[in-house]
Amino acid sequence: MRALAAAAIGLAAALTIVLTVTAIGAPSGETSPEPLLTTVPKHP
Amino acid sequence: MRRRASLVLLAFAVFFAALAPLLRWYAYPRLAKIPPSEYQTAVMEASPATLLDYGTMKPRTVPKVSIVQTLRGNVPAAKKVGKATGRDVVVWDTLSYVAGPDGKMVSKIPERYVFDAHSQDPVHAGGEHVDGDAVRRDGIEYKWPFLTEKRDYRYFDAQTRTSAPIHYKGTRNFRGLEVYYFEQTIPWTKVPLPKTMPVDGVTPETVRKAGTSRWYSTKRMFWVEPTTGAPVNGQEIHKEELRGGTLLGDRDRVTVFSGHVKMREDYIRHTVDMVKSQRQLVLMLTAYLPWGFLILGLALLALALLLEARGRAARPPSAPAAPAALSVAGRSV
Repeated sequence: MRALAAAAIGLAAALTIVLTVTAIGAPSGETSPEPLLTTVPKHP
Repeated sequence: MRRRASLVLLAFAVFFAALAPLLRWYAYPRLAKIPPSEYQTAVMEASPATLLDYGTMKPRTVPKVSIVQTLRGNVPAAKKVGKATGRDVVVWDTLSYVAGPDGKMVSKIPERYVFDAHSQDPVHAGGEHVDGDAVRRDGIEYKWPFLTEKRDYRYFDAQTRTSAPIHYKGTRNFRGLEVYYFEQTIPWTKVPLPKTMPVDGVTPETVRKAGTSRWYSTKRMFWVEPTTGAPVNGQEIHKEELRGGTLLGDRDRVTVFSGHVKMREDYIRHTVDMVKSQRQLVLMLTAYLPWGFLILGLALLALALLLEARGRAARPPSAPAAPAALSVAGRSV
């Protein structure tokens, strides 16, 4: 019974972490203020 | 004490063993995506190239023509389309600016490309266009999906405003990266004139009224890093002609542009470096962490069982057996 409880705790922790990280996701950021170029840049 | 330690190890074993498939098949498809705020530039050059001199209406050889491509993620537009479609969407506003040897504009074609941030499937919303003409893309453009497969894809051609297969032609090594090589050939096709012409007073309307049309053919080649789906090199053997009408005098066609367009060396180096680092992030979610966690989980499970077995061996024969220990061993007494 204790072993089952330990396994359940491990599984719950894994699910919680993965669900939380995917729910938060990556920040969308903002549109770059850089222009669409109409000159040839010297370097990247 | 040993029993408690083995239970803690068991909890960690299950934690890591469960994390492995969850990361690969649940987190990865949701976390791996193109950020909506991406900003990228690339410079390609045709050196030498043939370019039409609009003053004399005769083609001439020039030392270099540069194509500057800018991609800028439009975050507000992506949010708006995402809300309307319920998908994670990226909106790229792009400009392909062609500069002659003197730096003056030869052509400029703006585009809006709307696509799914995870799969790169086109999304038909948010005003996708090429040079102001509404289009409905089918297939990919600029970038391949994550974990690119060894197969043909459909690739959108901005000049013809249509999609056609781009063929997988084999695996190559490019600057230390394993890449998939793709090729697409667009046969001579009548295409729209650019909205912005390089000479004052000449408009697409005046060219059309003269009965002249623009034709185009290209062979495009991409070297794609398969984990990220990012092209690390691109080339085009690109030809454009004006055909028919009174503008050309007694000729039936003149070359507007002809050249072998290649990515500039510094941009190749920059792209390869960037892709090499981003590749590690994708591999982290698809290979390193899932396999690492699985191995760690199995090792912890083995350790938990070992501790439990030692605990039982050290126990005096007359001592009563604990039910929890028995359930770990999977035996009943």
